[in-house]
Amino acid sequence: MALKLEVSGVGKDFLIPVLDSVSFGVAPGEFLCLLGPNGCGKTTLLRILGGMELPTRGRILLDGAPLPTQLHRRIGVVFQDDRLLPWRTLRENVALVLRPLGLGRAERHARATEHLRLAGLQGFEDYYPGRVSGGMRQRAAIARALAIEPDLLLMDEPFGALDAQNRRVMQAEIRRLWQATGRTIVFVTHAIDEAVAIGTTLLILSARPARVREVIRNDEPLERAALIDKLDTMIMEEVDRQQGTPGGPR
Amino acid sequence: MWAALSMRYGAYVLPSPAAVLAGLREIAASGELWTHTGASLYRIALGFGASLAAALLLGLAAFLSRAARGVIHDLLAILNATSVFVWIVLALIWFGLSDWAPIFTTFMITLPVLASNIVEGIESVDRRLLEMGDVYRLSGWQQFAAIVVPSTVPHLVAGLKVGFGLALKVSVVAEIFGVTSGIGYIINVSREVLATRMVFAWALVMIAIMLVTDRLVFDSLSRRLARWR
Repeated sequence: MALKLEVSGVGKDFLIPVLDSVSFGVAPGEFLCLLGPNGCGKTTLLRILGGMELPTRGRILLDGAPLPTQLHRRIGVVFQDDRLLPWRTLRENVALVLRPLGLGRAERHARATEHLRLAGLQGFEDYYPGRVSGGMRQRAAIARALAIEPDLLLMDEPFGALDAQNRRVMQAEIRRLWQATGRTIVFVTHAIDEAVAIGTTLLILSARPARVREVIRNDEPLERAALIDKLDTMIMEEVDRQQGTPGGPR
Repeated sequence: MWAALSMRYGAYVLPSPAAVLAGLREIAASGELWTHTGASLYRIALGFGASLAAALLLGLAAFLSRAARGVIHDLLAILNATSVFVWIVLALIWFGLSDWAPIFTTFMITLPVLASNIVEGIESVDRRLLEMGDVYRLSGWQQFAAIVVPSTVPHLVAGLKVGFGLALKVSVVAEIFGVTSGIGYIINVSREVLATRMVFAWALVMIAIMLVTDRLVFDSLSRRLARWR
């Protein structure tokens, strides 16, 4: 099967090299979790995939065509913060991003309502973001990303700001939404248990400047405890290596 | 206390409250209250309205271009440092004895207040929201309407409030010269005929205008615009 996303030799230098050379592929419908020590460039990689940063080197293909010039492909992004417009209701927030798709007013409204319902926000469509909880705002941000029916859904530690209980709930929710919609997801997290709980594939980045250290299939539920231990060891090794390298966080 | 001081210093220096109230009743009865207030408000509306339009254009330019932002900053600093009196004199030289002196003066004095509030609002727009707009490919116009304008509105309302108070005070000063109507004109006439109680009466009218617009216009405007908070 053709790859959905193909990343080859992607690197990024800010003042120091952050990403050395990262290569991997993502199959259609895969749920890829990006793991790695803090500050190794996970978020930078995601921002490059989302077109928010340009890579210093390397090439990215989405459905076989290069990014970021690809305008007919849609990429949904869920950020660490919800990035909802506080002066618009949840429904208006979702409907806004449908405008560039050329949908009519009624259709935008209907599709926003439908995706808010899928994300468990039925009855809250007309609330302003400031009136609902952080977990609900992040659900609305996920509904917004899914509403454009993205070819690729990027998520950058989307549950990082939530409490432990809400995280659990949202992990189950995103897994359910992924199964319901069949979207291809790249999900950045620093929490190993989160990656193991939701990802179909785990990609571990090395210490900065980052390369791909390992790609692990995560489809055998029985091995989870052992897998978490193994990942933990790997990441701690990379943390140790990174602390030996110069440069500040990014 | 006002009444006691008035007794001590006499009606020319400080007229009694009763005399001032009687003055107010006279101008209300004669219709002068409405003609002069109307004339002043008409000039303020033109000068302040033009100033708002120009400030919005400057704000748009500041949003679109970084270079324009620098120029606008300098321009506003210069305008801010220029005295009311300079504008009044220049207006008299350029436009002669006409309505345009108070209108122009109001425009020049309120422009830096309105424009610097709007530019400040535009500079404080949350970059993260604009990035979200880019990611979801909202057009420049869609981002301006959905993200930039709403985040600028609180600054704009604050600027309007301060600016209107300024416009009222400044246009009245400009009306001392060259026009034959308006609150400034009539206050100056009252002074010439030694009717100090009428100066006080008109001062009360100005205070009343300010309080009423504050309550009725600006407060309800802020409330309406902030209903999502």
